[in-house]
Amino acid sequence: MAQLGQPLSDYQRPHQVHFSPYDFNGGTVLAIAGENYALIATDTRLSQGFSIHSRESPKTYSLSENTVLGCCGFHGDVLTLTKTLGARLQIFEKEHNKPMPTPSVAAMLSTILYYRRFFPYYTHNLVAGLDEEGKGCVYSFDPVGSYEREVYRAKGSASAMLQPLLDNQIGGKNQQGYVVQPMPLDRCIAVVKDVFTSAAERDIYTGDNILISVITKDGLKSEKFPLRKD
Amino acid sequence: MATSGMFGNGNPGALWTGGPVPGQLHNFPGVQNGATKGSSQRTLNPVVMGSSVLGIQFNGGVVIAADMLGSYGSLSKYRDCPRLLKVNDSTVIGASGDYADFQYLSNVIQQQVIDEECLNDGFGYTPKSLHCWLTRVLYNRRSQFNPLWNTYIVAGLDEDKPYLGYVDKIGMAYEAPSLASGFGAYLALPIIRDALEKKPDMALEDALRLIDRCMKLLFYRDARALNKYQVAVITKAGVDLRGPIVSDTNWEVAHMIKGYE
Amino acid sequence: MFLTRSEYDRGVNTFSPEGRLFQVEYAIEAIKLGSTAIGIQTSEGVVLAVEKRVTSPLIEAASIEKIMEVDKHIACAMSGLIADSKTLIDKARVEAQNHWFTYNEKMNIESVTQAVSNLALQFGDDDPDPGAMSRPFGVALLFAGVDEKGPRLFHMDPSGTFIQYDGKAIGSGSEGAQQALQEVYHKSMTLKEACKAALTILKQVMEEKLNSTNVEMCTVTQKNLFRLFTKEELENIIKDI
Repeated sequence: MAQLGQPLSDYQRPHQVHFSPYDFNGGTVLAIAGENYALIATDTRLSQGFSIHSRESPKTYSLSENTVLGCCGFHGDVLTLTKTLGARLQIFEKEHNKPMPTPSVAAMLSTILYYRRFFPYYTHNLVAGLDEEGKGCVYSFDPVGSYEREVYRAKGSASAMLQPLLDNQIGGKNQQGYVVQPMPLDRCIAVVKDVFTSAAERDIYTGDNILISVITKDGLKSEKFPLRKD
Repeated sequence: MATSGMFGNGNPGALWTGGPVPGQLHNFPGVQNGATKGSSQRTLNPVVMGSSVLGIQFNGGVVIAADMLGSYGSLSKYRDCPRLLKVNDSTVIGASGDYADFQYLSNVIQQQVIDEECLNDGFGYTPKSLHCWLTRVLYNRRSQFNPLWNTYIVAGLDEDKPYLGYVDKIGMAYEAPSLASGFGAYLALPIIRDALEKKPDMALEDALRLIDRCMKLLFYRDARALNKYQVAVITKAGVDLRGPIVSDTNWEVAHMIKGYE
Repeated sequence: MFLTRSEYDRGVNTFSPEGRLFQVEYAIEAIKLGSTAIGIQTSEGVVLAVEKRVTSPLIEAASIEKIMEVDKHIACAMSGLIADSKTLIDKARVEAQNHWFTYNEKMNIESVTQAVSNLALQFGDDDPDPGAMSRPFGVALLFAGVDEKGPRLFHMDPSGTFIQYDGKAIGSGSEGAQQALQEVYHKSMTLKEACKAALTILKQVMEEKLNSTNVEMCTVTQKNLFRLFTKEELENIIKDI
């Protein structure tokens, strides 16, 4: 029993439940810009703490014929953000009689994220697609809208594991006498499968499957690849 | 945490409180001011709580189950709380978390169903549309720091296909062939997933047996569960809300549990 | 029937039994009192030329502005109640900048015209939206510019209707000028030819004698974007016509 004047231990004390508007649902996305294609890949696990909510929840969202968004972090914000983007793209198409170009999607996403500067969408974003010249393009974002165009980038829970591998394999970093050249698509896909398989070994928030989407001038093609499920 | 004042460990208390203080700004009572409001109108901690909800898709429909306990902290206060709501002939929702918030949202949903019926245009909520709507409501409330402290599981038939959706108090939502909220997510869901993996095309009887096994398990292990539960079966024929069901329990081994007295 | 035509031109949003909105039609009439403005679209770019009515020798002619820059790639010429155009041009500029800010690309000429047209229609007797007017605008606009679809020329009237043209004249001399445009216009016209044609036609329809102070001209091209002609450049063209 608790003694008068003694502090109460945790289970004897009425406890206040804390409300946090955010959560982290894991997930990793990765995008690579090729010469005439853009590739974006995601795992399909949705988790919360040590629980797995879903094994069939890819974090890539196709926004138009030649733009795909990779979006992970807090899934509630992901759902809201992707819904908002879908609506904005449809409005744009009706207002301007053309689909929104990928660089414009990136610019708009940046403003949408920044408008929530003081209550941010807790999402890590990648936009992949083709630019006006038909070249592959990848844009990466921080949660509050800072963005830049890049050749390859990993985002989300296993990003810190994937990025150095990509630096080495695609960027040719830390390799002596290596000349960086545009990578053919099949080799790119092989690298993606490898880096995700490695990440799934170490990151509990990455696993189950990868969904690889490739955007070319002929449209969008997707491929599924299994990862470990524990 | 206001523990000392609550149990009154000896302070005489101030002579004059709640009135104007010399040299300080005074807020008149009744004037709402977000920053200085003394009492809260928001659910920032739940009061009467419901525990797990379970949902399983089977061949031709969905079953959803929840026990009937309303817990007040560790007190089993209300033992006849239905936590399943039939929305229409193809949709049922089940709620965990704050019971008052569930009752509030039930009223809103039922009024919307009536309004929709008055239009008589043949349209109504589908499980998918209700799930999407719940996601928006819960996300908006969390964004205003005024959450509805619930996890909802939406079960039903959408264009004759089984549908199960999950939404929590911060608007995190997804669909899956089997769902569980509360402690059910830890205790029952692994068993349900295992059963579904072994027999993906379950019949209704299999699903009901599985539900009973899981509800019983929750009653044994979850201190906020009760051996009195409802099941809703949603098929093409409509919604069949069954219960209260009481499972046969077996406490033969209970006397062997020692060391927690 | 005691309701004559005059009964139906009170409310700006009241249709007559024949299905007409008189106030809008009157506003279109107001354009015909305005100075003449001409736009010609060529494959190289678009030219806009307007007449300035310098009614007194004491007027500082340079202070009459009837060609405005909406964005670096869009120009606008006007005829009618020039003061009314301020609101519309403001709207066009804000829309163009907003588009650039959000989408990091130049706004299409058609989209700018559409946005301005939406504002032009927001007139009404009661509780107007902020920025909208209680009557139709008394000004017609020519939007000229270059975008991804190439050089574009749009005409918009007070009813908010907008149509793309190869060549269009508005204002008091529009009838004669439009006729002349149809005769002189051909698809392979160069921008230089178009500039000369625009001034030639203006000269024909203007009451005063055309000189470098009572006209204003600009071009919009892919290379140089919006460019207003200087007095000297105008004189160079005028001396050849």
